[in-house]
Amino acid sequence: MAGRRALKAVLIDLSGTLHIEDTAVPGAQDALNRLRQASVAVKFVTNTTKESKQNLLERLQHLNFNLHEKEIFTSLSAARSLLEQKQLRPLLLVEDSALEDFNGIDTLEPNSVVVGLAPDHFNYQTLNRAFRLILDGAPLIAIHKARYYKQKDGLALGPGPFVTGLEYATDCKATVVGKPEKSFFTQALTDVGCSPSEAVMIGDDARDDVGGAQNAGMLGILVKTGKYREGDENKINPPPHLTCDSFPDAVEHILQNLL
Amino acid sequence: MADTGWPGCAKSLKGVILDLCGVLYDSGEGDGVAITGSIEAVKKLKASDLQLRFCTNETQATRDKFVAKLQRLGFDICVSEVFPPAPAAIAVLKERRLRPHLLVHDGLLPEFDSVDKTNPNCVIIGDAAEHFSYQNLNEAFRVLIGLEKPVLFSLGQGRYYKETDGLKLDVGVYMKALEYACDLKAEVIGKPSTTFFQSVLNDMGLQPHEALMIGDDLLNDVGGAQHCGMKGVQVRTGKYRPSDEMHPTVTADGTVDNLAQAVDMILNQRGQ
Repeated sequence: MAGRRALKAVLIDLSGTLHIEDTAVPGAQDALNRLRQASVAVKFVTNTTKESKQNLLERLQHLNFNLHEKEIFTSLSAARSLLEQKQLRPLLLVEDSALEDFNGIDTLEPNSVVVGLAPDHFNYQTLNRAFRLILDGAPLIAIHKARYYKQKDGLALGPGPFVTGLEYATDCKATVVGKPEKSFFTQALTDVGCSPSEAVMIGDDARDDVGGAQNAGMLGILVKTGKYREGDENKINPPPHLTCDSFPDAVEHILQNLL
Repeated sequence: MADTGWPGCAKSLKGVILDLCGVLYDSGEGDGVAITGSIEAVKKLKASDLQLRFCTNETQATRDKFVAKLQRLGFDICVSEVFPPAPAAIAVLKERRLRPHLLVHDGLLPEFDSVDKTNPNCVIIGDAAEHFSYQNLNEAFRVLIGLEKPVLFSLGQGRYYKETDGLKLDVGVYMKALEYACDLKAEVIGKPSTTFFQSVLNDMGLQPHEALMIGDDLLNDVGGAQHCGMKGVQVRTGKYRPSDEMHPTVTADGTVDNLAQAVDMILNQRGQ
């Protein structure tokens, strides 16, 4: 690539890119192994807020993916470090399964609200409670603002709509910690020690994966699996570096053109 | 010279429009409670030479039902004086031949009994309160995202309102949620839409400058009325918050403690 330095890191989205719920994208495990044989760092970056890192790891290992917990960087990790840094006690609107990533954080008498993907908590009572806290001055932290995600039986609302609603109700702006925030992508590269211009991101979400990464200075590859819908590649400007059928094609492109 | 400020403008008024919730009463368990002095204030307005209408974004019950509730609370009010969003929405559906998927309060459903809801090609949301569950929102979302040209109607766009046990999120919050999810702009039926206020003025046969709106919602009652050419006065009851008086874009023509005070000031100006 003219004007770019050699590729040092590949960031890979999980849900919708490597797997859809309990099914791996065909060929994805082998493709990941081929990528590992090249001299690039691999990190798994996800806005999956329902699950702790440990859960994610087990699910992917169960699907025969070869990865380690320290390679996973999630929006929950990013939220936790923000809470610690500002010494906030959160009302956590996250699924029970994600709570372990917040172990040790004081949640009594909350003075902040953290919104993740929590279908069980996105009900009228809990949202009213969150709303009243924010109206009284509690900061609103969004793990991410995805519009929707794909389930086996169809599309389902993500946390973004609920965060947007709370912002509207209280006339405040949420601090977003997950994709597509620039800070999320740069934090994910911290321990790799390379600059965004030396990294590429592969994901199924045009705005949050590809647009976000490109905005942070990386290349972005959009795969047509998961939540991808016809024409998504035209929703961002600049367009994706590449749009391809699925993860194995993305890896092939990297191995042949970017190294 | 005509006095255009509050309360001097009351001298030349011909009609008054009142919001209901937060002005006449606070909603909550059962019928809710009347706000002190409001029952008497409505009586005084009715006895005056001013026309009186009620303009509400109430969508938790049919018009008949909530007018009956207000009557039980002691208010002198009848169905033909009350303008809620649902009947206006039904007129829009007919005109544009749309079949709605409804995300509204159970209490409002009978208003839509005569409306064709098969194979929906639009979504209507109202203040569904506890029916704003993840599952119900998801259903509305799936209808919208499945349409080639998604159309979302929102019965009002309020942020929150006050019930006896605290502030509650209003329909506008869920409208924004669906707008964001589907990347679209909802069409608002109800306050603060100019069309909606205009329909009330038409019913009274008045020009905007001849009417005054009194409400507890700075943006939807006061701002909406002002945008339409009316005067707007805010009461310090219901969802009122002191920060409303320092709002960057909307300034009420007057702010009063409650409806009783507003009505006394109006009638004083008119020497009644």
